[in-house]
Amino acid sequence: MTTAATDNMIADEQPAGRSLWSDAVRKLRRDPAAMVCFAVICVYAAVAIVAPWGLSGWAGSSNYDNIHQPPSAEYVLGTDIFGRSVFQETLLAANTSMTVAFMANVIAVPLGMLLGAIAGYYGGWVDNFIVWLFTTLASIPGIIRLIAIKFAFAGKVLFAGTWFEMNLDGMAGLYIALGVMSWVGTCRLVRAETMKIRQLDYCLAARSIGTGRFVTLLRHVLPNVAHIGIINFSLGFQGAISAEVTLSYLGLGVKDAPSWGRMIDSGKMDMVLGRWWELAAAVGATFIIILVWNIFGDRLRDALDPKLRNA
Amino acid sequence: MLMFVIRRLIQAVLTVFGVMLLTFLLFRVVAGDVTADYVNPKLGAPAREAWRHKHGLDRPWYVQFWHHMENSVTLQGKSYQTEERLTTIIRERAGYSLALTLPGLVLGWISAMVISCFVAYYRDTWIDRLGVLLSVLGMCVPFLAYMILGQWLVFNLYPPAAWGLRYRGNIYLPIAISVIAGLGASVRFYRTIILDQISQDYVRTARAKGAPLTTILFKHVLRNCMLPILTNLIMAIPFLIMGSLILEKFFGIPGLGDLLISSITRRDVPIITGLTYLTALIYVISLLTTDLLYGVFDPRIRLS
Repeated sequence: MTTAATDNMIADEQPAGRSLWSDAVRKLRRDPAAMVCFAVICVYAAVAIVAPWGLSGWAGSSNYDNIHQPPSAEYVLGTDIFGRSVFQETLLAANTSMTVAFMANVIAVPLGMLLGAIAGYYGGWVDNFIVWLFTTLASIPGIIRLIAIKFAFAGKVLFAGTWFEMNLDGMAGLYIALGVMSWVGTCRLVRAETMKIRQLDYCLAARSIGTGRFVTLLRHVLPNVAHIGIINFSLGFQGAISAEVTLSYLGLGVKDAPSWGRMIDSGKMDMVLGRWWELAAAVGATFIIILVWNIFGDRLRDALDPKLRNA
Repeated sequence: MLMFVIRRLIQAVLTVFGVMLLTFLLFRVVAGDVTADYVNPKLGAPAREAWRHKHGLDRPWYVQFWHHMENSVTLQGKSYQTEERLTTIIRERAGYSLALTLPGLVLGWISAMVISCFVAYYRDTWIDRLGVLLSVLGMCVPFLAYMILGQWLVFNLYPPAAWGLRYRGNIYLPIAISVIAGLGASVRFYRTIILDQISQDYVRTARAKGAPLTTILFKHVLRNCMLPILTNLIMAIPFLIMGSLILEKFFGIPGLGDLLISSITRRDVPIITGLTYLTALIYVISLLTTDLLYGVFDPRIRLS
């Protein structure tokens, strides 16, 4: 960091070029594996955005003369039990998966960062309370935590009748559940980092010229833990994708939209009958996106974590 | 040391209380009334009231919360569906879950340790790179795919072994699946820990004085890796008793994980509450054990 004497200096005299962020971007750009993975993620995101418009007729395209057709020129990945295109279903499910994973982390990461920073910065009983809160949440392991909250959400509608109406049985319920339940990891890391940053000179300097505690937290502490948020966003993304697939497979995830988990569920007994395409499409799509997030997440962490950089 | 133990014990009790509060909030307050799932609507209001009275749902919330805590601590919640007590159900079903998870954990741990030692020994060669590649690929394959493909393979070889518990030997397939599916992540984790130790100074010293590589690996490195590895093992304990939810449901194994899933669909609140609480309790106890172990072995943690 620079000598952060006053707020004005930070705003005006940002040293040109080498910040943590520009270094990270440069490093990622030079890394072919990271760029390939990033490109694949972009393709998934593009499909997720475009598919619902382009393929809006899929749900109603049942054709009972055409069920369980193997892959052909007309149906690239064959047809499902209702005679609908499996290829289109796979593309549409990308929307479910990416929306759920994105929204879950949009909820979880800021929540974890804010709570972690508050706990680490203020200390005392605030810290004790937040630590108790996340220890409690974390003590219900993994998938049971998600199943529990999905059970509680069953049949509920949030803000019924307003413009914000959200059906908690559907996609909204899934990403809210995932978001509310998966901020603990971010919170822990941010809290530990904040406790270190709080004692650094630039925080003392900010406080000594009369900056309020909350403003110091927002302007001087949070920007310096932001990289933890980015890293956890990418880690959480792949976690949320697999959680969505598993929960939808169990019938506790999305019910009103195509999902790779539901495709696996409906294809699970088809393997024995030689109908591999629905299963293969869903498993393949899940495998590729989790793999690329995994590699990209690792590279991103290497690029953003200054402690690993010089090792 | 005594202060450390007392502080950790108080924290553990507070966490368990937090779990009771959380399960009460989630399953009683947020989930709301489940009377309609158990009483035929045609029977009208008196029948509903009678059912609610029988299960104590018509009392004030603090009385309900008190009963909720009592039932949690004693594991005496009663199923809405079968009226069985949770302790009875656990006694009946936990065996099936353990028969699946315990061999799975032990075999998975042994094979992951052997493979990761092997891979770490050959670090920076093609064996290491292949090992890392395979474990990353293995981690990214969805668990469901392992399960379905495993069943399909066995079905082609010997159909009766592919589903259900009609034969005692049918447990081998789910065990094998849980071992293989977990291998990628474990190998990667253990390899990192072992390599972290191998690059330490004491290993260089041992090599410099001419100790054979096997001695270094097994006597020095593995011993120093034991703490994180032990932690990893202890933290797997909460998952033992619940079994693998997905495997149990898929293979029709009547364990506790299968019970949890079916209780969700039947909206059997006392069972869901009890099982969630039980898992959390075992988790808290495991965590406490690890912390105390660390406190015993590592003075830095005890004193901080």
